[in-house]
Amino acid sequence: MHPGRGRDALLRTALTLGVGFILLPLGIVVLYSFSSVAYGIFPPPGLSLRWYAHLLDQPAFGRAFLRSLGIAVAATGLALATGVPAALVLVRGHFPGRDPLQAFLLSPIVMPKIVLGVGWFILFARLGIQGGVLPLIFAHTIVVLPFVISIVAANLVGLDPALEEAAQDLGAPRRTVVWRIVLPQIRSGLIVSALLALLVSFDQVESSIFLTRGENNTLPIEMFLYMEKWQDPTIAALSALLILFAFILVVGALVVARGAADLRRILPR
Amino acid sequence: MRVRGWLAAGLLGPVLALTAALYVVPLGVYLVNGFHRFKDGRILRVWTLDTYAAFLTDPFSYKIVSTSLLLAGIVTALALLMGYPLAYALHTRVRSARARGVLAVVLFCPLMTSVVVRTYGWLILLANQGLVNTTLLRLRLIDEPVRLLFNMQGVVISLTHIMLPFAILPIYSVLGRLDPSLKEAARDLGAGPWAAFWRVTLPLTLPGVASGGVICFTLALSAFVTPQLLGGGRVQVLPLTVYNSTVEINWPEGAVTSLALLALSILAVWAVNRVLRRLPTVA
Repeated sequence: MHPGRGRDALLRTALTLGVGFILLPLGIVVLYSFSSVAYGIFPPPGLSLRWYAHLLDQPAFGRAFLRSLGIAVAATGLALATGVPAALVLVRGHFPGRDPLQAFLLSPIVMPKIVLGVGWFILFARLGIQGGVLPLIFAHTIVVLPFVISIVAANLVGLDPALEEAAQDLGAPRRTVVWRIVLPQIRSGLIVSALLALLVSFDQVESSIFLTRGENNTLPIEMFLYMEKWQDPTIAALSALLILFAFILVVGALVVARGAADLRRILPR
Repeated sequence: MRVRGWLAAGLLGPVLALTAALYVVPLGVYLVNGFHRFKDGRILRVWTLDTYAAFLTDPFSYKIVSTSLLLAGIVTALALLMGYPLAYALHTRVRSARARGVLAVVLFCPLMTSVVVRTYGWLILLANQGLVNTTLLRLRLIDEPVRLLFNMQGVVISLTHIMLPFAILPIYSVLGRLDPSLKEAARDLGAGPWAAFWRVTLPLTLPGVASGGVICFTLALSAFVTPQLLGGGRVQVLPLTVYNSTVEINWPEGAVTSLALLALSILAVWAVNRVLRRLPTVA
């Protein structure tokens, strides 16, 4: 027997089992969205589209989806507008306190979201900014900001400063250097960070649960509250649509960013 | 391009204003409540350490802290034990770039679906008549359905699934930067495949294991959705206490519990960073 074959089989089995484990809950959600009964029994006794029909009867989910989408876009925009300049300073700047500043700007990643959520709830209540999407946009901006900064900074580190210096020597003002030399080179990093920010914002529960009050529920909150009360496959139908949406987004992103290499930069090492 | 002086200040201005107003201030405004007192459904704005004293002397708080640490610890260990072979197999056994791309999408697609959706998936899978119990019954491994929902087991299984991508990602990325000639050198010098793995590959990928572990641990420690929906009230962890205290308008208790949660997260990050500095690195 070939000496490496045993380990080969072992690793391939691990890979198959792992992929199965990862896909199982997503697959079962899609299957149950077509179930004919409300209770969770395997296999479902029959197939139907009634839960999709039931979903259409609940316009709150549709409104929450659009609201979540709007909040995600606004928070991502705000995080990019403030985070990209910050990343530029963190990579190209030399000043005392740069490392502590970076640690501070990235710290919301490990901050328990529920703690931040209560903090925002109290702050916005005192300021009288309650309801609507503004508190949620502010909250999500802080949550996604460290992802934008770390990905953009990781991309900036790889750039050759000589290109920027050459442009400056040739008389380009700093503004032109940033827009024409720096940003085009980190285009894929910007796209990846924006997509990750959109996804992270779209998935906020803990940070937002105290900021929503029914009229301004985001989609995950709407689903979470529905699930606390009922467990019928309406949520499965909605989830199946969301999985499809995420799939289209991921495939689109991979096509745009050309390859999964940039996925590596998503998390700080 | 050099960035310094007024330019640096101008570029940092917006982000500093934003984080000061929306990160530092809300945390401060909230956590300061830990030094107030909660009595008869109201917060008394007196300065006191009573709430801390109550937290530290209540055996129930130690139970919550130990449940939280246990849950985060088990989930992290499971995610790393499953994630390492997966990352390794993905790195060494999948040759074609296309297959690797497809698998990468598969491994990371849970990240793209909401935590609520994934938790719902496990709710269906782990039910008494769900897929897991039905399969175990058919295989005659069990005689009656195992209770996997609304207890610790269900939360552990579901959270491990949620954390798995965070374990795989850093390990996979370190494996990618590993110089293959190191392992070949070990083999040429007479090490068997297992020895080469244990003595060369594994130690050099420990930084990835450590960073994956710390991400899993801190995220599992502050997880709220899964323990709330699958714990059935039997898995009392710190984030749930924070949530319940806030709902009861008991901000002082919530603030003290939050600080405990925060301290444990920071401690975990600090400890792992210390360990990371002593580990061998991939040159």
